[in-house]
Amino acid sequence: MADSARDVGTVGREALAYADTLHNLAHYLTGNGPDAQDLLQETYARALRALHQFTPGTNLKAWLCRILRNTFFSEYRRRRGSPVVGGLDTIDPVHDAADRELDALRKVVAQELEAALMSLAEDARTVILLDLEGLTEVEVAEVMGCAVGTVKSRLSRARAALRRRLGEDAH
Amino acid sequence: MNCVDVRDVVLAHQRGALALGEDAAVREHLAGCAACTRVEQAERALSEVLEQRLPQHPASVGLKRQLAAQWPATVTPRQSWRRLAAPALVAAAVVLAVTPLLHQRFVVAPAQRDALVTEAVNDHVRVLLSERPIDAESSDIHQVKPWFGGRLDFAPAVAFGGDAEFPLRGGSVGYFLDRKAAVFLYSRRRHAISLFVVRAEGLQWPAGRLETSSRGYTLIVWRAGELGYVLVSDVESGELKTLAAKVMGEPA
Repeated sequence: MADSARDVGTVGREALAYADTLHNLAHYLTGNGPDAQDLLQETYARALRALHQFTPGTNLKAWLCRILRNTFFSEYRRRRGSPVVGGLDTIDPVHDAADRELDALRKVVAQELEAALMSLAEDARTVILLDLEGLTEVEVAEVMGCAVGTVKSRLSRARAALRRRLGEDAH
Repeated sequence: MNCVDVRDVVLAHQRGALALGEDAAVREHLAGCAACTRVEQAERALSEVLEQRLPQHPASVGLKRQLAAQWPATVTPRQSWRRLAAPALVAAAVVLAVTPLLHQRFVVAPAQRDALVTEAVNDHVRVLLSERPIDAESSDIHQVKPWFGGRLDFAPAVAFGGDAEFPLRGGSVGYFLDRKAAVFLYSRRRHAISLFVVRAEGLQWPAGRLETSSRGYTLIVWRAGELGYVLVSDVESGELKTLAAKVMGEPA
């Protein structure tokens, strides 16, 4: 547990170093800048209140991501409601249009990529972004509150869904 | 392995995260399955576009200032921590007191070490913020190293030219404390990794290997002969150690 004055100062500096990563995740969860800003501020406020629960030596970034996602569920989605487009369970991982997907991927521009990612369900977006941030499967499992094996299948299906979405958009 | 099995693990296969037997089974399947090969190519392309083209939405400077103001620098420590830590601190003090030579040999004074760490992090951040962080843009170490000729008063001894895990992006000349440094830029997914190489003479460089973190960045510092090396990045420490081993030429 982070108990000492030195720990809090250190953790605080490290936590603030993740502001860009967390804001990016918040943006892709909420879909807009003002809500992302609110979500980030609430995340840091909650993290500060819960600092005694953080175990030094464990991954601070993953701990903060978990708080951000939980805050998103408890505050933002309850308040605003957030559509979940195409749940992961509806995605067929054996989608055999790889040629079209590959062609689309070679041409995709940033805005199309962002739009395709935003069209996925929240858990698909989150697992792709956390993986992109370099979190391990164990850490992603902690953030998302699921088993490590579930992370593997979710990531695989989420990426397949994103490829398929990009392939569809290209035609 | 059938197509479903392979597509579930194709990402892990690309990242070298599968056990040898499973990896071999995936390779064997891919060699004979055109459909899965196309999926594998599409997965690789997706990784590249996500890492290179997905728009990023960093926090604004104003928001960071607000967050920093909210987070206190210190709080009152709990008594229980002191009770637990006191024996360890006493033991540490005793060890340092009775082994001054060892201390001199392997440990640089904290203030000097902190200055070195601070400089390395500042330089890495400077590289990240630079509009043109790489002067010699190339993934070929045999193009990057000769480029330093005539720009530095030493030859940076770096043999690792990048690989699929840690591609080399290029090199540039920077300043480290009071001297010029060779800066090699590698990447890991979307994370930038700076390797600074300087003449260590006259600097309080750790004789042993130093692994530490500062302001959210991980650093590995070591010395080889006359040259000092610092790796800095926000990748996980395990990944930075892997790169350090490659740069040092240690067997995998």
